[in-house]
Amino acid sequence: MSTWNYVVTAHKPTNVTHSCVGNFTSPQELNLIVAKCTRIEIHLLTAQGLQPMLDVPIYGRIATLELFRPHGEAQDFLFIATERYKFCVLQWDSETSELITRAMGDVSDRIGRPTDNGQIGIIDPDCRLIGLHLYDGLFKVIPFDNKGQLKEAFNIRLEELQVLDIKFLYGCSKPTIVVLYQDNKDARHVKTYEVALKEKDFVEGPWSQNNLDNGADLLIPVPPPLCGVLIVGEETIVYCSANAFKAIPIRPSITKAYGRVDADGSRYLLGDHAGLLHLLVITHEKEKVTGLKIELLGETSIASTISYLDNAVVFIGSSYGDSQLIKLNLQPDAKGSYVEVLERFVNLGPIVDFCVVDLERQGQGQVVTCSGAYKDGSLRVVRNGIGINEQASVELQGIKGMWSLRSSTDDPFDTFLVVSFISETRILAMNLEDELEETEIEGFNSQVQTLFCHDAVYNQLVQVTSSSVRLVSSTSRELLNEWHAPSGYSVNVATANATQVLLATGGGHLVYLEIGDGTLTEVKHAQLEYEISCLDINPIGENSNYSHLAAVGMWTDISVRIFSLPELNLITKEQLGGEIIPRSVLLCSFEGTSYLLCALGDGHLLNFQVNMSNGELTDRKKVSLGTQPITLRTFSSKNTTHVFASSDRPTVIYSSNKKLLYSNVNLKEVGHMCPFNSAAFPDSLAIAKEGELTIGTIDDIQKLHIRTIPLGEHARRICHQEQSRTFAICCLKNQSSADESEMHFIRLLDDQTLECISTYPLDTFEYGCSILSCSFSDDTNVYYCVGTAYVLPEENEPTKGRILVFIVEDGKLQLIAEKETKGAVYSLNAFNGKLLAAINQKIQLYKWMLREDGSREIQTECGHHGHILALYVKTRGDFIVVGDLMKSISLLIYKHEEGAIEERARDYNANWMSAVEILDDDTYLGAENNFNLFTVRKNSEGATDEERGRLEVIGEYHLGEFVNRFRHGSLVMRLPDSEVGQIQTVIFGTVNGAIGVIASLPHDQYVFLEKLQSNLRKVIKGVGGLSHEQWRSFNNEKRTAEAKNFLDGDLIESFLDLSRGKMEEVSKGMGVSVEELSKRVEELTRLH
Amino acid sequence: MHPNLSDILGAGQKPSFHSSPMGSMLGNLPSFDPHNFSQLRPSDPSNPSKMVPSTYRPTHSRTLPPPDQVRATEAKNILIGNIYQRAEEKLRSKRAATEHLIPEHGCKQTRPSTS
Repeated sequence: MSTWNYVVTAHKPTNVTHSCVGNFTSPQELNLIVAKCTRIEIHLLTAQGLQPMLDVPIYGRIATLELFRPHGEAQDFLFIATERYKFCVLQWDSETSELITRAMGDVSDRIGRPTDNGQIGIIDPDCRLIGLHLYDGLFKVIPFDNKGQLKEAFNIRLEELQVLDIKFLYGCSKPTIVVLYQDNKDARHVKTYEVALKEKDFVEGPWSQNNLDNGADLLIPVPPPLCGVLIVGEETIVYCSANAFKAIPIRPSITKAYGRVDADGSRYLLGDHAGLLHLLVITHEKEKVTGLKIELLGETSIASTISYLDNAVVFIGSSYGDSQLIKLNLQPDAKGSYVEVLERFVNLGPIVDFCVVDLERQGQGQVVTCSGAYKDGSLRVVRNGIGINEQASVELQGIKGMWSLRSSTDDPFDTFLVVSFISETRILAMNLEDELEETEIEGFNSQVQTLFCHDAVYNQLVQVTSSSVRLVSSTSRELLNEWHAPSGYSVNVATANATQVLLATGGGHLVYLEIGDGTLTEVKHAQLEYEISCLDINPIGENSNYSHLAAVGMWTDISVRIFSLPELNLITKEQLGGEIIPRSVLLCSFEGTSYLLCALGDGHLLNFQVNMSNGELTDRKKVSLGTQPITLRTFSSKNTTHVFASSDRPTVIYSSNKKLLYSNVNLKEVGHMCPFNSAAFPDSLAIAKEGELTIGTIDDIQKLHIRTIPLGEHARRICHQEQSRTFAICCLKNQSSADESEMHFIRLLDDQTLECISTYPLDTFEYGCSILSCSFSDDTNVYYCVGTAYVLPEENEPTKGRILVFIVEDGKLQLIAEKETKGAVYSLNAFNGKLLAAINQKIQLYKWMLREDGSREIQTECGHHGHILALYVKTRGDFIVVGDLMKSISLLIYKHEEGAIEERARDYNANWMSAVEILDDDTYLGAENNFNLFTVRKNSEGATDEERGRLEVIGEYHLGEFVNRFRHGSLVMRLPDSEVGQIQTVIFGTVNGAIGVIASLPHDQYVFLEKLQSNLRKVIKGVGGLSHEQWRSFNNEKRTAEAKNFLDGDLIESFLDLSRGKMEEVSKGMGVSVEELSKRVEELTRLH
Repeated sequence: MHPNLSDILGAGQKPSFHSSPMGSMLGNLPSFDPHNFSQLRPSDPSNPSKMVPSTYRPTHSRTLPPPDQVRATEAKNILIGNIYQRAEEKLRSKRAATEHLIPEHGCKQTRPSTS
């Protein structure tokens, strides 16, 4: 049953909708405050750049974000209004570093038509009132009293119904607004009104201006001494005040955002729809405006908000691409741009479509999104992985091995980094300036390759080369003792710990040495039947300097063996199977459990549990990490031991709740890794990759990693084809030429490089609407099917489209068949070896027929009418679930015998759908345009036809995000043995760039977590006094209902962020121990 | 009333771009604290910012505002408000008129109820 669902964010929204700058956290500090849909981020401006301070979840979608300074205050307050008509005023308490709510409330009206052009919230520059335009024909005023306290709000009737923008004018003795509006003849005008607070009414303002630019859409109030307002249109910019009027023509463009540069309002940055950044200058003499000038500065992401920060640095917030930190340079660069991008901030929004693929075939899903819009369109590969934060790096080719050594046994830090090459060994050390420089350990042989190095007891170091084992004093660095390989033999592989050395020479000779104070003693020798490929004696028993077990990997019989030490008796032999030799073995211990890891030459990894008393190997498991040989090494991070697997797909192996987990490291190919914990770079790793040596610290485990593939065009649909190892996308390119026509394409991309390898252009006016990789019955080929629509300017709905069937041949898209349709093909599904299409009002089934000449064609089989627009279709067996434009979800069934599709049941609510998914045979998930999620259930046991024909709504939840796509899958490696691995998950992608997971839980777990959620509501407060319960309640124009059968995973998982005291408070309410709660919540975090 | 837009722009006037030297236009950009961004070096454009702020989870009691600062819209309908207001104005003007009449009619008192 998928009735009980858990909704959690895997990737927070990144789409920047608002930003503002002010002294929020202190009078001396300048802050940038950014709104990302349901979150705000507070940043501090520092010498080093923007320093993120806090990410603040808001229980609402942010409609307005404004900083203001009430009279008598030393720092700014933050005003936030949400789309569901709540507002709050926040103040930063620097003593406690907390956000305090100064005021809050509800500004909804029982009647009123919500504005079409979005909500407007503005604050009078003299702080006399807050103005809100939320409903057509009404202007709401929240007055301040003279102490800066908010008074009761009231409405004023606003004659203008089609309002485009409202701003307060500066320098007016009475608060005055300027209104940009459109009349019923579609002409645009501005008008001013004074707000008479006592009379609670408008008084005609000082001026007005009729017949503006038809594209006028934005007002910019100009501060004193100039005052007045700038009216930004598509072809002109006008300055207007009571006594001046200046205008300049501009190149046709739609201005999306502005940012004021100077306090006196003489310069503004304007960002347009194409991402061009202009500087608008008001020229003036003696406080009188003499004219306007506009200059192109350069290109940025398409801005939704622009905030001038400080010292020529500007924040560009974007909804269509990555947000940026840019610098305005006095001199243009080689391309004539004055804009220099200093930093970019990832934004996945809008996620228009995505697919879940397992490109590395390692059981870990990756999400590939169609992100961004227009020129900022891109593909993003999102996957869970671990990042390395590079601290230092040097170019070094041909590294064959690396080891860190201490200068004395009890030194907590490493001093030396031994780097081995094919014919020499170089030693790096931290000098007094904390720089890495080359040094020498005189007792080491640096003329040859080092096979192994280790710290040894009694302030000694051990080096193994192909000819000998050298014991060296770590203090005098002189050679103390040497063991020579028998003549005619050379050492092939070796390993060591503080007191033991194990090495193998050619001919299968295994030699065991023990290290004493200045002595190297050959204790035991054994001859094995085959050559030895790898060794390990990492001590994981009680003695951290001595191992009783040795792990040995073998050529020829492809086995791994466990020997006892010092006897070198064979205890266990495990055949690995296959023909790939083991390249690296490692004994390690995670959370008190001992493991043997054995890495093969083809990137596979086997793991066994080791019984330390008898050396028995149990619980064999195999995973694929990469395709190249793996080298295993342990390292410590945050006092926990992890294993680093170097290969073409470097991976960190760690354990959580006694389970081994594998997480990708976000590096390409890593040859070698060794921990390097020096005083200057504590807790660091030295990593040899692609001709360079890098020292860096490692991120927290389980973090999403995002790779960006800029397209320069807008991708709308994506689909992966396993067989051809390609992606196909539907995309559109806006021609930069004057006619602004757009062209649509189907592009084929290599799934590894994500490079475009083939393109099929669609006809003029033809849009790609859907894409699918599928095969048909009686045909072994795999095809890409594309559904299109001819979007003609004169038609309200497309009346013609096509279904195109492509095959990938020699990396090219070859059109095999096409079929004209009577409308837009909104959705395509593989269905019983046939093709199911949603075409305008109809669901249509096509079969794949072989013609006499051997060619193929699509033939209509049957269909089902009765939708407004069938936009989203999912199928399971013979069932078809349809998400309609405005008629919620319906369930159809395909009847084979009759060759017909019939409606089985429907949800009679009027939900405007944005995505659907099938959770199980009976339960279907929907997302709709009021940002809600809901589930419906088929009622097969209903007593009457009427009951059976009704899909019962069983779950409702306000997500606060617009979902564009659901897909089954997971972002984390789902190991079949884990409990979490049994939980079904659906991934969703939203307009704001959030990626979330919906997990269907067993009932008992749901009940437990529901109780935890209600306990957490009491402990974790809503910022601004906003209620979590209200926020998550289902809400549309008609009704509001408490959330049911959905849980807020973001709230539940925040349990782990609580202080111990608060955890105990929750624990008391639950009657469950903190440890148990942590464990259970911890487990949930592994769903994403 | 301001003149028409087309009059100001004039028929022959062409948009002019890149006319003035940018140096002067971008000069003297405001500075709140000259140290801000002084040590910031442009990062590798392929490497986005990885700085992640910690998530705020308030558990203190001051997330609720003072009781008198929980604000809603006054219940009074605009129309009714207007009617009251007009009635009040009428009353006020009447009263003003009466006050004005006082010196003329001596010390005329309001009539006590006749009933």
